[in-house]
Formats: sequence, C-alpha cells, structure tokens
Amino acid sequence: MTLAQDDGPEPGGDDLFAAEYVLGVLDADEREIASRRIDADATFARLVDAWEARLSPMAAAYPETEPPIRVKEALDRRLFVAEPRSGLWSSLAFWRGLAAASVAALAITIAVPYLNPPVEPPRLVASLTADGSDVRYLAVYDAAHRKIGLSHVSGERAAGKDFELWMIEGKNAPVSMGIIPAGQIAHMTIAPAVQEKLAQGAVLAVSLEPAGGSPTGQPTGPVVAAGDLKSI
Amino acid sequence: MKDRAAFDLLYRQTSAKLFGVCLRVLKDRGEAEEALQEVFVKIWTKADRFAVSELSPISWLVAIARNHAIDRIRARREPATYIDAALEVADPAPGPEAAVVAGGESERIYRCLDELEKDRAAAVRGAYLQGESYAELAVRHGVPLNTMRTWLRRSLLKLRECLER
Repeated sequence: MTLAQDDGPEPGGDDLFAAEYVLGVLDADEREIASRRIDADATFARLVDAWEARLSPMAAAYPETEPPIRVKEALDRRLFVAEPRSGLWSSLAFWRGLAAASVAALAITIAVPYLNPPVEPPRLVASLTADGSDVRYLAVYDAAHRKIGLSHVSGERAAGKDFELWMIEGKNAPVSMGIIPAGQIAHMTIAPAVQEKLAQGAVLAVSLEPAGGSPTGQPTGPVVAAGDLKSI
Repeated sequence: MKDRAAFDLLYRQTSAKLFGVCLRVLKDRGEAEEALQEVFVKIWTKADRFAVSELSPISWLVAIARNHAIDRIRARREPATYIDAALEVADPAPGPEAAVVAGGESERIYRCLDELEKDRAAAVRGAYLQGESYAELAVRHGVPLNTMRTWLRRSLLKLRECLER
C-alpha cells in the first residue's frame, strides 16, 4: 500500500475538522465536540456552513421517499398538542406564582355554581420571541385576576436598560403595560383600560428601553420579543 | 393555528427528501421514521438558527437530517459491531447517483470527485451519503484507520481547490 506514504505533512486544523464533521466520518465523541463548537463558536460554525454548502450538491443523490402518514400524525401530536402542555408543566415555578389565586378561584368555582352560571375566565398564553434576539418570555394572562405572569426564559437586558411590555391590539398604537420587573418570574397587574382590549389575538411585545421605561409613551428601543395571545 | 399551516406546508414539501436521507443513512425503516420525527421537531424548534446560516433552505434542512441520522448511527453502533456493519455495506457505486444528478452544482462536484483517485472518490461519496465513519471506511477499503484519515483529508482539500477553481 503506497497510500500511507503520501507526500506532505498531515493536514489538520479547524477547517478540516469542520470538513470531516460535514462529511460524516468522525466518531461519536468527535461529533459531540464539533457540535458543541458549532453552538459556541461562530467562526467554527461558519466553517461548517461553508463545507455544508460545498458538499450539499451530493445530496441530490438521495432519492425522495414518501414517509408513512403515521410520522406526520405523531408530529402533529407532539408539536401542536402535547408540547404546549408539557412546556407549561415543566415551568412549575411559574405556576407556583399563580397557585394561590388559582386555588382561591377553584374554591369559588366549586362553591358558587348554584348562585352564578359557571363562567370560565379566559386564560391566555403567549410565547414571546423575535428573530435575531435571544430574549424569550412566556406570558400567561389571568383575566380573572387582572394579572399577567411572565416567566423569563432567556436573554439579559443591557446595563442601564429596562424591558418594557406592550400590548398591540389590531392596528392601534402599542399601549404600555409597564416595566417588566427583573427576575425569573414577574407578575404585573393590568390596568383596567388595557384589560378591556386584552383578548385572544392581541400581541404582547417587549422592547428595550432606557431605565425607567420609554420617555415618550411609545417604544423607542428595539422589540426584542413578541408573540400573540392564545387561549389554552 | 397559523404556525400549524406553515408546518404542514413545510412537511409536505420536504418530508420525502428528508426521509430519503434518513433511510439511506440508517438503513432501517422504523429507525428512519423515528429519526424523521426528531428531525422535524428539531427544525421546528430551531428555526431561528436558519436566520444565521448562509445555506439555502433545503440544504439547511438536509444538513439537519443528515447530521441527526449520522449522530444516531454513531450512538447505535458499538465499535465491534460497526466493523461488521461496514463489511455488509456494499460499495456505493457511482452509477445510480450519476443518473440522479440533474446538472449544475451537482455536475460540478461530480467532476471534481472524478479528479480524485477512484477509491478515494468512492470513500468520499460513501461517507457523505451514508455517514460512514473513518473506522468503517478503513475496514471496507482494507487500509489502516490513519491512512483512511489522511486519504479523506487530502481529498477534501483537493475537492475544495477544484470547486473554487
């Protein structure tokens, strides 16, 4: 075998490591290292992307094969039914904040059906995210108690800045709901004027503002997360 | 609900291709179905990553499917058994692939692969399309692991040089 005696030094370096990852020849441990670096190191991620682009024409050789319908059915269950529930259940800390109110509400619901027709107070959730931003909040609106609970998932505010929460309803100008208190879980009381318009389909948005909030009454900084309220 | 319509569309347009990727790499229908499911969950929850990638949408999706399927076979195979698996896998012939090649970019990469020695080009194709590891390729081509590593690294550099020419 003459191949082992190829001339020249052994090639190496990040670019080749990226190439080997894309080609698919690395073992499990090496692939784990590469995939961590893709997440943590933008320069390395770009090298990987460039190799994906170079080699991707070979993917034309993969024949298209229709998957069985059960795959789609399982995905629908997983993404659109099961996940929101497990997502909420997994943020138990968030629910704990609303627990006292819920228990009180439950007691009333049990005791009062004889007096009032049972009216389910709307409970709406919104997942707040935005492209190009790592700020994420999960918001739950408890109409019965005029409260909004915010679970801070990720993304820090810059020094000397505050996150301000806005409601956008239809084509109307954003209405401030106040500065979001720092911390993992934040509770905000909703002003009656805002509550009137806060319903399913309304958009909640978070903007980055000077400390103390927008000086103009309208968002002045970038919107770092937004999402519409959905009924649960 | 809007999200769900978008997902349905994405699934309709891409699932056959991505299933083809999973099947080819995993060579097991049940496992490919599971992998496809995981791939779509990944795509759906990591869609924001696409914004920072320079790849075309379908290349990005194929990359996610390929990498996921390859991670799965690496996790599945113990070192001792993947040598057996390597021995069972037939050499990927250039024939059927060449037939699928539509032209343009694909034609160019196959022209560049043709500039490599025949067995090295076959190793590159086998690695890319089936996710074969250095260890598997070394066994199948009957060369030491380090030789295979050197072969493929040099081949990758030559490929890049040819593609950028």
